[in-house]
Amino acid sequence: MAETNTSKARSRTAGSPMQGPHWTPLQEIDARELGSHTQDSLDELISDVEVTAVPMKMRVDIHSSGQNVALKRWPAVEIEPQSLPKSPGLMPSWKPTRQKVSTYGIQFPEGMALIAKKDGDKPAGKQAPGEIIQSAAPPIEISPDYEPPTVASLIDGLDELPAKKPVTRIKPPEDALSIEDRLFYLLQPSLQSWLAGQEMIMPFEPFPYQYEGIGWLFSKSSALLADEMGLGKTMQTITAIRLLVRSGQARRVLLVCPKPLLPNWQREFRTWAEELPFVVVEGDGERRKLTWTMPGVPVLIANYESLVRDFAAFGEGEFPKFDLIVLDEAQRIKNRTSRTAVTARALPRRRSWALTGTPIENRPEELGALYEFLEVVPPNATPDLRQLQSLAKQFILRRTKNLVMKDMPPRLDRDAYLELLPAQKSAYEMAEKEGVIQLNELGDSISVQHVFELVLRLKQITNFDPLTGESAKLERLEADMEEIAASGGKAILFSQWTKVIDWLAKPMEKYGALIYHGGIPNKQREPILAKFKEDPNAHILMMSYGTGAVGLNLQFAGYVFLFDRWWNPAIEDQAINRAHRIGCKSQVIVTRFISKDTIEERIDKVLTEKRELFAAILGDGDDTNVSLSMNAAEIFGLFDLKARHGKGTRAIGPKAVPTTT
Amino acid sequence: MSHGNHDQFRLGFLTAVEDAERGYVGGLLITNRFGRPLEFQCTAPVKPNRTQQILYGPTLRPYVLGELIGRTLLEKVGVKPHLVLVESLDLLDLRAATSTPVVSLVSGPKTPKVKRTGETENQTNEQNGQSDKTLPNSMRLGNEAVVFHTSHDEDRTEIEKFAKLVPADADLREPFERVREALEETIRLSMARPA
Repeated sequence: MAETNTSKARSRTAGSPMQGPHWTPLQEIDARELGSHTQDSLDELISDVEVTAVPMKMRVDIHSSGQNVALKRWPAVEIEPQSLPKSPGLMPSWKPTRQKVSTYGIQFPEGMALIAKKDGDKPAGKQAPGEIIQSAAPPIEISPDYEPPTVASLIDGLDELPAKKPVTRIKPPEDALSIEDRLFYLLQPSLQSWLAGQEMIMPFEPFPYQYEGIGWLFSKSSALLADEMGLGKTMQTITAIRLLVRSGQARRVLLVCPKPLLPNWQREFRTWAEELPFVVVEGDGERRKLTWTMPGVPVLIANYESLVRDFAAFGEGEFPKFDLIVLDEAQRIKNRTSRTAVTARALPRRRSWALTGTPIENRPEELGALYEFLEVVPPNATPDLRQLQSLAKQFILRRTKNLVMKDMPPRLDRDAYLELLPAQKSAYEMAEKEGVIQLNELGDSISVQHVFELVLRLKQITNFDPLTGESAKLERLEADMEEIAASGGKAILFSQWTKVIDWLAKPMEKYGALIYHGGIPNKQREPILAKFKEDPNAHILMMSYGTGAVGLNLQFAGYVFLFDRWWNPAIEDQAINRAHRIGCKSQVIVTRFISKDTIEERIDKVLTEKRELFAAILGDGDDTNVSLSMNAAEIFGLFDLKARHGKGTRAIGPKAVPTTT
Repeated sequence: MSHGNHDQFRLGFLTAVEDAERGYVGGLLITNRFGRPLEFQCTAPVKPNRTQQILYGPTLRPYVLGELIGRTLLEKVGVKPHLVLVESLDLLDLRAATSTPVVSLVSGPKTPKVKRTGETENQTNEQNGQSDKTLPNSMRLGNEAVVFHTSHDEDRTEIEKFAKLVPADADLREPFERVREALEETIRLSMARPA
């Protein structure tokens, strides 16, 4: 049909003298027909029409119509007045003005001056005029294989970039409510960048959990770092102190530790915070007083005894104030009425941190004493178990080796159950029988002390028979030591008694035995430890629990012997962890000597049964903080103590339940 | 206040977050060359009114962030930076309002970018409009490519001098994250407060 129309159109225009339009005029199509077309057919029609551009030639003439005169006449205009609105409805103009913007700001406290470059290329004070003073921090060491990223790699996409190490950002503490406090923490860079050798030199890269610990301590006013022994509480504390001092948040820090640990802390401070000056409070009274008040010393290290003594020597309100006080081995203040605890709580301070691997040694209430020092419970408060748990979540950070050091060499515990030798056995049986009879005869006047004495006497016999010197433990020890010495290994031996250690000195002489206990003067102790480390012929170091159990780093020893059992597994764990701690290269074999059918076996059983009691307080999966010792009732329970009562007997024991450590 | 650390080279990190209801909140963090904070200033929320939105059109954002927020913060800050870093090329015009050199990170704020299949490198760069080839005013600072304002060519020498003070592996995007986090915290806290 379209073709027909086109041919019709051609035939209509053919032979025309004038060049007319090249398309079919619409008027030639019946309007009704067009109206009946659908839009599609119309489009089809138009698309089929051939289009050719033709210049139009039109001539316009004015034909005579008789009205031309009228066109030349002026039109008549009538004016009608109209009232305009008095004020315009739109703003006539807009001028840009600079809006005032209100601001809020904080300045950060100036940190400690950086350490000067030791071998700087440029001597201080010789900067060119106008030159910006560069940081005095040591230069950044870039490893030789380091290749800086290219612009292309930066633009191309993150998928091509090496995966970033996880970073630890300091979080605002929960109790920081003011915006200023919260921003202070939020705006700190990641710990990794602080510690990455830019400004603060770290001798070793901390482990991720240590970064967390540092960040946690840094942001806490009250904190109890209760990491298991050997996880680096010292290093985390020193680094957190360093950050506080460097960020200007603390200018005076006091660290209190047991006296034997003073050299250890000094060594660790030199290792982990080389630029941080510290002074140890020591010497005579006058000198100590001067040290306490000495200005410009960021860190003071004191032992508990001198702290208590010197605090009393200052008048009320005269003792210097500290921005931070850290109590190491904070279980020292577990008895809240002790002089040490009272003094610690009275120290003027802004922040309180406590460090201990054994926050609970005997009873959950001991935590209350620590919380009181941290000022998170009112004085003399006795929080119940639920409150203790809730406070623990907020103020205690505790990690165990199982949790964080999955790649650490294992600790292998071997309990050596030994039969007493004949002479030992008869001595033991006689002593036990006599002892129980004596206790029973005491009747109601019996005290825990009486039982304690018997236990000690029996324990001593399990070590060796005082008459003949027979000792099953020594026999076993000699056998083991022969093997250890032959392989060039080193062992640490712990005993409760210095007398036992001295007794062992002779038979162990051939293994280069060294002795380290409370009877050794402080000055001689460090050289002994150094000799044990360096002398290849020194295979065994014999220590007392009291002196050697805390704070020492002896991770080069692969064997630990517990010659006799301490009352408290926490202390035993501390002792074992002298060897089994960060840095140990191989597994640590721990041998506990337990004499069969003796008091030792019974003590072990009671302690083992009670291991779960406190686990709940410090969180799930914490299988190490079961540091319980035995209370008086338990000690009495070791024996079948009875008193005559009329014709029969009745069980006896102390009414109050004192504790032992 | 003594000078101490403040005498050293200082960087200013300027950015803003947009809150749907309240408008823009800007923050300027002054750090030393290692990223340690020295001062932080932030603004109250700035919300352009309808007239400004109509009349400024596409220049509204640069105006609010640069002229209003950036300039105010630079005037208010007590510890003046030697160099201001921004994350958006839009903000380079801040240079007109200050004598401090201003540089922008080349590839904009940190957002994960995944190259689509079949997309060439040139296409990506063209879309960004930020290839170092097409930007004669680009240079390196820390581990980033930055550009300075084309009408301030004299900044090049100055920035080159600063570039030597910034560690080559310094992550110049990280401080912006801190600023954003601080600004979000500020907004959160101000909203939590009773009116």
